[in-house]
Amino acid sequence: MLSTLELSPQTLDADAPVRIAVKNLDFYYGEHKALKNINLDFRDRHVTALIGPSGCGKSTLLRIFNRIYSLYPEQRATGEILLDGRNIISNNVDVNELRSRIGMVFQKPTPFPMSIYDNVAFGIRLYEKPPKSELDDRVEGALRRAALWDEVKDKLKSSGMGLSGGQQQRLCIARTIAQKPEVILFDEPTSALDPISTGKIEDLLEQLKTDFTIVIVTHNMQQAARISQYTAFMYLGEVIEFDATNTIFMNPHKKQTQDYVTGRFG
Amino acid sequence: MSDQHIVRSYDADLEGLRRSLAEMGGMSERMLGDSTVALVRRDTALAQKIITADQRLDNLQREVEEKAVLTIARRQPLANDLRELISAIRIAADIERVGDLAKNIAKRAVAISGQFSPPHRAVVGLEHMSRLVQAQLKDVLDAYAASNEQKAMEVWRRDDEIDALYTSLFRELLTYMMEDPRNITFCTHLLFCAKNVERIGDHTTNIAETIHYLVTGQSMDENRPKLDTTNILVDLPAANG
Repeated sequence: MLSTLELSPQTLDADAPVRIAVKNLDFYYGEHKALKNINLDFRDRHVTALIGPSGCGKSTLLRIFNRIYSLYPEQRATGEILLDGRNIISNNVDVNELRSRIGMVFQKPTPFPMSIYDNVAFGIRLYEKPPKSELDDRVEGALRRAALWDEVKDKLKSSGMGLSGGQQQRLCIARTIAQKPEVILFDEPTSALDPISTGKIEDLLEQLKTDFTIVIVTHNMQQAARISQYTAFMYLGEVIEFDATNTIFMNPHKKQTQDYVTGRFG
Repeated sequence: MSDQHIVRSYDADLEGLRRSLAEMGGMSERMLGDSTVALVRRDTALAQKIITADQRLDNLQREVEEKAVLTIARRQPLANDLRELISAIRIAADIERVGDLAKNIAKRAVAISGQFSPPHRAVVGLEHMSRLVQAQLKDVLDAYAASNEQKAMEVWRRDDEIDALYTSLFRELLTYMMEDPRNITFCTHLLFCAKNVERIGDHTTNIAETIHYLVTGQSMDENRPKLDTTNILVDLPAANG
């Protein structure tokens, strides 16, 4: 639609490879079918936003990607989620390895009760044993990428819990990217943050998408419109419409989508 | 699902905008009609009224613009709501220009009131053209009020008739001037009036295009047929138009 005048973050490469392909995915909480025949392609190094009212299944979908549901025996998924062609919901997937490839950042910042340095190093040490000097470099690199380095470089030994909410969230992002994942899942990462911190996280997301495939769940419609290139609108466990973000927010094809993005959903 | 916003005051904001635009549209229609009457009847009192009315139209336009900008800031509209607001700003600007052009006709009605009078048939063509444009303006405003894209497109297509009429009026007025040089002052004013009416026609097509965008979400890319050929009738400087 905007051929000559693209707005920066909306620029999308329609030929980008598909990093995660969801095919005929159903998901059950016990008897309750929470996701119904989901089919979605998440493109490499693009931001895909999942929007929809509470309970529509968007967070459920996000949590399937790194198999959080595996902790609960009564929850099960059928269908396929292909990460680079491999079905990650099959039983023979090493969940720990999977989680190192697909990182997750939650709504509430979840720093560990340890120093800022150790928070970031923790993720690396889980999977690797790099020498101290390399570990230092990677911690610094991750904190820089998370736009937090300048604020914490003089207090790396103090507790991560002492940071502000926005800083804690960026610390969690640093911890996630330190593991060098391929995909980062964000579950409402800014809903507990003030506008300044939110701006910093959004700015950060734009930087991160040059290296990572990002999936974000957000209730903030303008945020989805600002930062994502693709958007899926979900309702009652189904994907109602999936398209380029510009289309979803300026000219959606389904009436349900239009009603939701314009605040008419009753 | 309903068509109402969850936040009801949002609907009231949009409704208020539409009402102001409807008022502006009604005023501009009246101004065009009255300016033509003032011109034909050489009614300077009516002409003065139009000149005063234009101030009110300008104020309304500013109001619409402010309201729309405020709503964008406050509600962060998306999809059809955003298009609605952008369209309101555009249409208000077009209507405001229609008012300016009608005011210009009224001013000329005052200017020619003491002039040598050519045969009455000189103004008949302009009166006819103005009536057509009034109908176009009414139709396009109705199309906006009803979000009727089809009707808007009909207006858009019909504008070539007005362009053709303008071209023939141009020839006619030239003829009068050649017949009797005393007609020149009057007919020159009439020519400008005809151009103003033709311009108002163009604004109706602008509004039609905005309605197309509002309803479909797509900008118009088709080029409108242009039958205004006055620029090649006589050797006018290339900078014209």
